[in-house]
Amino acid sequence: MQKTFTRSLDSLSDIYEFTEGVLASGDIEDAVRYPVHLAMEELFTNMVKFCPDNDNQILFDVAANDGNVSVAITDFDVDPFDVTASRNVDTEMPLDGRVPGGLGLHLVQQMVDSLEYDYHDRQSTVKFTKESG
Amino acid sequence: MFDIELGENGDILCSGRLDAAQCAKAQDFMDSISGPSVLDFSQLEYISSAGLGILLKTQKRLVEGGAGLRIINVNNHIHDVFRYSGFHSIFEIETE
Repeated sequence: MQKTFTRSLDSLSDIYEFTEGVLASGDIEDAVRYPVHLAMEELFTNMVKFCPDNDNQILFDVAANDGNVSVAITDFDVDPFDVTASRNVDTEMPLDGRVPGGLGLHLVQQMVDSLEYDYHDRQSTVKFTKESG
Repeated sequence: MFDIELGENGDILCSGRLDAAQCAKAQDFMDSISGPSVLDFSQLEYISSAGLGILLKTQKRLVEGGAGLRIINVNNHIHDVFRYSGFHSIFEIETE
């Protein structure tokens, strides 16, 4: 199911409700729902933060089948930003060396089963899957 | 929907979903606390990296003053997020 959302953090609640509607039809367990919601939020907020002046809406395509979920998020008229690149996050760093931020894409890379990035004609598409079990 | 308030026993009660859109509310509350503090996550369903940033910022401030955060009743999903973030080494965390 596809739906577009305004490039604003205020869209997060609508994205959550839209996604829950799709997941409810696919018999999706909580262990899959959580990383799906987290990945969608992190990828969306990343798009919002890095292109705040872009007026184009962001397209979500979410499918749920047999306990598994696939998501594609497409951003239009943007510069490339490869979310699959290593984030080099040091999770062993002590408290005094840490600064807030930078964990979002690291979490996505850790918590989904596949993550792909495509860029052409100034259009970025991120696809990820999360499977049951 | 996210809420944060001081419980009757002095613990800080968090509930709902702490996503990037709710961070201002959480940050305002956390900026008001001082000394050793307990965060009760028994009613918190979800946290993203935006919420982690608030916890980290608060922990750094409190530790500089000789105190810190203890986070209790953490559900399995949030526990996974903490684990992937390496938060176990910088917070005292108790699962449900």
